[in-house]
Amino acid sequence: MACSSIGVSLTKKKLMGTTASFEGTERYYLNEELRSIVNMALAMEKPLLLTGEPGTGKTQLAFEIARDLKMELIELRAKSTIKGEEVCYVQDTVLRLNDARFGTGDTGRDVSRFFDYVVWGPIGRAFRADKKVVLLLDEIDKTESDVQDNLLDVLEECQFAIREVNQMVKAANKPVIIITSNAKRELSDPFLRRCFCHHIPFPSVDEMKKIVDLHFPELDLNFLETALTVFYELREKGFEKPPATSEFLNWLEALKIDRPESLEADQLPYIGTLLKRTNDILQYRQKKPNPPRRMGW
Amino acid sequence: MISSNIAKKSQIPPDGWDGEPLGGPFDDFIRLLRERDFPLSLKYVVEFYQGIKKGLAYDLDSLFLYAKLVFIKRVEDADNFERAFAFHFYGIDIPAVKEGDPELLYTQQFRDWLKEAIDKGELPKHPQWELGLEELTRRFWDTLKKQMEAHHGGSKWIGTGGSSPFGHSGQATKGIRMYGESQNRSAVKVIGQRRYVDYSSSNSLKGDNIRQALSLMKNMLPAGAYSQLDVDETIRKTARNGGEIELIFSREVLDKIKVVLLLDNGGSSMMPWVDLCRLLFSKMKDRFREFTPYYFHNSIYGNLYKDPQRLNPLPTDKLLLLSPETRVFIVGDASMAPEELYRPKGSIYMDANDDEESSLVWLTRLKNRFSHLVWLNPIAEHEWDITYGNWTIQKISQIIHMEDLSLKGIKKAVEYLANR
Repeated sequence: MACSSIGVSLTKKKLMGTTASFEGTERYYLNEELRSIVNMALAMEKPLLLTGEPGTGKTQLAFEIARDLKMELIELRAKSTIKGEEVCYVQDTVLRLNDARFGTGDTGRDVSRFFDYVVWGPIGRAFRADKKVVLLLDEIDKTESDVQDNLLDVLEECQFAIREVNQMVKAANKPVIIITSNAKRELSDPFLRRCFCHHIPFPSVDEMKKIVDLHFPELDLNFLETALTVFYELREKGFEKPPATSEFLNWLEALKIDRPESLEADQLPYIGTLLKRTNDILQYRQKKPNPPRRMGW
Repeated sequence: MISSNIAKKSQIPPDGWDGEPLGGPFDDFIRLLRERDFPLSLKYVVEFYQGIKKGLAYDLDSLFLYAKLVFIKRVEDADNFERAFAFHFYGIDIPAVKEGDPELLYTQQFRDWLKEAIDKGELPKHPQWELGLEELTRRFWDTLKKQMEAHHGGSKWIGTGGSSPFGHSGQATKGIRMYGESQNRSAVKVIGQRRYVDYSSSNSLKGDNIRQALSLMKNMLPAGAYSQLDVDETIRKTARNGGEIELIFSREVLDKIKVVLLLDNGGSSMMPWVDLCRLLFSKMKDRFREFTPYYFHNSIYGNLYKDPQRLNPLPTDKLLLLSPETRVFIVGDASMAPEELYRPKGSIYMDANDDEESSLVWLTRLKNRFSHLVWLNPIAEHEWDITYGNWTIQKISQIIHMEDLSLKGIKKAVEYLANR
């Protein structure tokens, strides 16, 4: 495995007082840096905001943390239509109306009991959980900025109010909060201020080798070298959507099935797995050189 | 420094800090961050010391990681932070530019190094002449890399308090002392990779950071959810219906705006930018009610063109009939001969028949019609005074609000539009 045992024990020793520390699991390549960062965020009980290109494993990391710490993962997939409150709870008004009109039958619900009609959202479930859980807010940048601001207070204090009955829901166990963002939209300053922020850079060649090794341990080394060279060259070519880790892995998967004799940088098989935009593929086929960047008049 | 005086005078420790009063061993570093315009808040400083107290930073590498986690909130600032860290703790002064960027020649670090090396006799008297700029640039980066290499893998770390690596000797060794074997990657090695230099906000627009630029542009308009159940109205209607449920959905009004992009696509210098700008704005298409690009060459006269070849004209008068709420972006280098801007019949095209009035008149008309008008200039702001077109840039920016086509510039332009 990628993490050395010395590194792990040292981190553990230094993080005395924290209940758990994160060490990475077998299926996910975790560099030292990322591991330390996760542990620091755990120690300080701060939400960890992960940004970076798509395909750098931001969401994956949350799953790995949950697996490693043996906690339940509760996930909120952000959408642009989210208004804020429903990630905590929703009152199913339609059902209640329906019950009021047609009767509850043998469902056991009582129209006059508010909590019979509450549907807990991911944050509500995380706060009400009996044990500490990992709460993942995925792609938070898709939401409106005022929604983010509303969420802030909820996350910071780990409590929210149910305004219909004026009751507070407070987390008995502060969840481990992981937030991811693809930078589709700028996050507000107050939001950033309350998180630990880490931008995951694109993996270096060496790291990529380790990642590939986790997925394709049987891959021929020479072949991997060539594939890596071609891939990193392709990334440099200034495509609108440069291929990322997941595209590279898909491509290797495709090549595994149909292994070519050699790889020519300008005639790659299965280019569609690497480049996703029509424009990029056309540009690749035409081999049109990008105009040089110049300043002046 | 003002901050330190205040910190010394005030006896009350800030909230959440129950240890020693501020003024710990990292104050010099924090001060350096402020001097380098790194965005800081007292909250981060408190948080930083809390973590230190918890033992999160047990060697220089973990200090580096932890400090980054606490202080860096936006990736645009990451490079600045890492350079400050290298300067304070390793005494290595890394210029803000990337290796291979010709801008290096204008940096203080390069000049200092050159002067020092000549004084020491390591370089000939007139190195530019004898070695050439390319060779000098290479040697500079080599020296820097050697500096970083030398710091790599030691076991005892002493912060230099930021003396220059290139021989500005005489500064006392201050800063902090840290012991402990480095277990993993050393901070200086990480800094040396300059992983965040591409994201710096002073960068000009290019393929790599187009995502960031896009996210900035999205701040331009409010967009909300499309539909929602209007509970109050539903209950009211249902009651009226004698209990027969009637669901009422309300639709949130989306305030979509009209955007016009005027692109200078004349001359080879503008070419690299044309595609990028079009891409940037076309990506925003779904957010705009209407988006139209028009083209011009050097400056705007009586006609704009609907096609990049500039064959299909649209009288500028027609553009002026658009709603005054329209957001107008002009992208151009604003560099031209003064007469192109000032004189009637000023167009560089001999056969032009749309320049009876000077370009200045047309620009003023645009300004008067559209309150949301901004000019984006691909020439970096710090070069506006020294470039070929400095005079016309100055004149035009007096009429139309001008920003450069960097991330910072786009952000400022969007802010400017939002505040109108």
